[in-house]
Amino acid sequence: MNIEKLKSAHKLLSEYKYELGKLEKGYTNRTLYINVSDNTIKEKSVTQLMKDKFIGGKGFGLYYLWNAVTPETKWNDPENEIVIGSGPIGGITQYPGAGKSLVCSLSPLTGMPMDSNVGGYFGPLLKFSGFDALELQGKADKDVIIFIDGNKGTITIEEAPEEAADSHVLGEQLTEMYAENEEDKRNISVVSAGSAANHAYMGLLNFTFYDVRRKQIRLKQAGRGGIGTVFRDKHIKALVVRFAGVKGNLNNPDDQGKINRTGIKLHKEIHDYDAQQCKMRQVGTANIIEVMDQYDLLPTHNYKFGSHLDTFKISSKVFTGMITQNTPDGCWYGCSLSCAKAVDHFELKTGPYKGQKVIVDGPEYENAAGLGSNCGIFDPHAVLELNFYCDTYAIDTISYGTTTAFVMECYENGIINKEITGGLELHFGNADASLEMLHQMSRGEGFGRLVGLGIRNLKRIFAEQYGADPVFLNDIGMEQKGLEFSEYMPKESLAQQGGYGLTNKGPQHDEAWLIFMDMVNNQIPTFEDKAEALHYFPMFRTWFGLNGLCKLPWNDIVPAGNKHTDEPAKIPEHVQNYVDIFNGVTGNNIDKEQLIVQSERVYNFQRIFNIRMGFGKRIHDAIPYRAMGPVTVEEYLSRAERYDGQLKELVGFNPEGKTTEEKIAAMRAYREDQYQKLTDAVYKRRGWTMDGVPTIEHLKSIGMDLPEVLEVVKKHL
Amino acid sequence: MIKLNNRDFEWEEGLTVQELLNKKSYTYPKLIIKINNVLVSSEEYVSTIIRDGDDVKVIHLLAGG
Amino acid sequence: MKVLKRKPELCIACHACESACSNTWFKEDNIEKSCIKIKEEEKGNVIVSCTQCGECISVCQVEAITRDKNGIVRINKKACVGCFMCVGFCPELAMFMNDEYIEPFKCVSCGQCVKQCPTGAIYIEEV
Repeated sequence: MNIEKLKSAHKLLSEYKYELGKLEKGYTNRTLYINVSDNTIKEKSVTQLMKDKFIGGKGFGLYYLWNAVTPETKWNDPENEIVIGSGPIGGITQYPGAGKSLVCSLSPLTGMPMDSNVGGYFGPLLKFSGFDALELQGKADKDVIIFIDGNKGTITIEEAPEEAADSHVLGEQLTEMYAENEEDKRNISVVSAGSAANHAYMGLLNFTFYDVRRKQIRLKQAGRGGIGTVFRDKHIKALVVRFAGVKGNLNNPDDQGKINRTGIKLHKEIHDYDAQQCKMRQVGTANIIEVMDQYDLLPTHNYKFGSHLDTFKISSKVFTGMITQNTPDGCWYGCSLSCAKAVDHFELKTGPYKGQKVIVDGPEYENAAGLGSNCGIFDPHAVLELNFYCDTYAIDTISYGTTTAFVMECYENGIINKEITGGLELHFGNADASLEMLHQMSRGEGFGRLVGLGIRNLKRIFAEQYGADPVFLNDIGMEQKGLEFSEYMPKESLAQQGGYGLTNKGPQHDEAWLIFMDMVNNQIPTFEDKAEALHYFPMFRTWFGLNGLCKLPWNDIVPAGNKHTDEPAKIPEHVQNYVDIFNGVTGNNIDKEQLIVQSERVYNFQRIFNIRMGFGKRIHDAIPYRAMGPVTVEEYLSRAERYDGQLKELVGFNPEGKTTEEKIAAMRAYREDQYQKLTDAVYKRRGWTMDGVPTIEHLKSIGMDLPEVLEVVKKHL
Repeated sequence: MIKLNNRDFEWEEGLTVQELLNKKSYTYPKLIIKINNVLVSSEEYVSTIIRDGDDVKVIHLLAGG
Repeated sequence: MKVLKRKPELCIACHACESACSNTWFKEDNIEKSCIKIKEEEKGNVIVSCTQCGECISVCQVEAITRDKNGIVRINKKACVGCFMCVGFCPELAMFMNDEYIEPFKCVSCGQCVKQCPTGAIYIEEV
């Protein structure tokens, strides 16, 4: 790797100098705006309104995006923005999970605002360099790199023609290039996409952090919704930030001691209980693979089933054996939960890097389920290889897994064949075919290129060009709002169907994960109970994204006294921790109810943003029937006892003597009706009309009655 | 018959908490178990006998990624 | 290596060791800033201090904690980012935080406290 040669090919397009500034109670009070069309670089002030109404992170991202686009703006128009920001709490080092960046943009998959959260050091280092957020607008002629030196106070836009396209190489090159020496590498974070983001709509962004103990870069992904595709469409090759001098007090918080004590309390809890609870430090999120299987919740064969006899081959135990790290590590300083896992010296068997030994950042639960079981692939090496290539090519593993599962079911049903796939035998379980399809996506060739457009586009193409039945495709294509479902089986939990369907950005479980509360625990039996959960949890979880926080330390570790509390599912002690650290940083004095209102403002703003873009209504909250119940005879028969029992007990339909088709139809009528009733209850609880539009009265009550917001809403009431 | 998470569940003489968990394949590690609203600690799963008519709650604390 | 050893049954909870420690390292008489803590519990007095076991070394993500050539576990304050993970993970609860500082502190077996102990409840031993 000749870094000097790469660097000498750079052409400086623009340079900007700025005053370093100082953080005050979690805010720099300034954001950075860069337009790569004309190489404008400027600073903007953070207003009190922004802080009051939008807090930071995803709130700032959505606010800037709203101001940047019109209802007609498409994802690949130059005025579309990518906004990256941390949040007021982001960058503290004492409380686990405080290093998240939130990324917002109009999505190529949904046409609406997308938000995705990601670890790695970029967000905090950007903040310590002087900016609460970064707006990227415009479209460059040729590939550029943007470099922010947070110690020198300089920002440059450089043409960068020769660096590698794929993230695991590019991240390494740029860390080497911009670090002043080995010791300085920890002060660099790189944001980049990869070769497949040039072609696919499901492109992601990789954020690096330098792993001091391995002496190598690690990649964390802003995976959902194709923001990496927007990044490449803007011809941005990478963002690089450098900031040396991270300490525990750079946020200049109002009450450092309070934050320290709250953090130490959680560190101690994790030390004492993680090994018995989730094993995040040993295994990471993969700990639930076999749990999901045992509860019939692990999606297999495109969400037809919830378990598989071969799951043991990709269980957490198998992956634990492959994780070679000797010490747990987190994606930001101070994360003692340390879910970040890696497989070292992993020898690739396919593709352009075949034979090389690489680090695979994973396996995460979503990857094992999406790339593995949902595609009928139970080969751990294949799962890791797919994981590696998705990451470095910049492909969202969730969209890739769910789309591949869909394509495989289409293949097995004869909707597409070898002629159409260019020879790929895409039956369930064919790992080689999945890998080859992924390599095609990277090259922008063949069937892989098509698959990269995502399920919504594929449904249209298969129907239009290959005569497929659009009704069947809509039933089995696990996307909503254009976004592919994440990897949990929602069929037996109505509340989780709502947790996927009644969301802002599409079916991602970051708003609410209620399957156990609903299906197993039976804690939220009525529509009103479910609606309350589908109000509280999405609002509570939205708050992490406003502040630069990770969700995992909230409930993937549980304090000893939790079972004695009134509402153990909320982890009340940890909610109070968040109230304390927010107040400790910002000097505000909110309580747990005001915390929810902070989220409600942004949540409703995002809903109205969707409406402004022509979406965001009841019709857009419908979900495919595969998410709700058995579409096919095969599915029904696989759980016939369960379904027959439900027909008798819940539906009042006697299954005896009926054909499977009749039973499927009766079940479907019932479940679809249940979803509609749930939708009614949730809209009511959220203060929306029955068409899903937030009412003016509600917006006033939560303080989100900005004139531009009301103007949009009025047209739809 | 007992209530398990507010649903009917077949009872048998001598049924322990651990046997109930085995029957239901409740393998998840973060559980809160209450019998008639009294907590049962994990050390007591094997020795605690469920009586006919008991109201048993096996609450899984999992809220996803 | 030198390690501070404890015989809690001899401790009379006079707290002289805590004063000696905070005076030595922080130039003030403040038990909140001592690297040794005497807890008066019902069962008897408990002496909390570092055993130089080194668990904190692997916990530290930035390699700010190392064992020096004499075997003593030391914190490099310059490299420390103040996450206090080591405080929560110390099996002896002997890594400390004080609101006035953004790095933790711990016993380095200097032995100043031993000189002040009237009963021999603490002593330095070569192990």
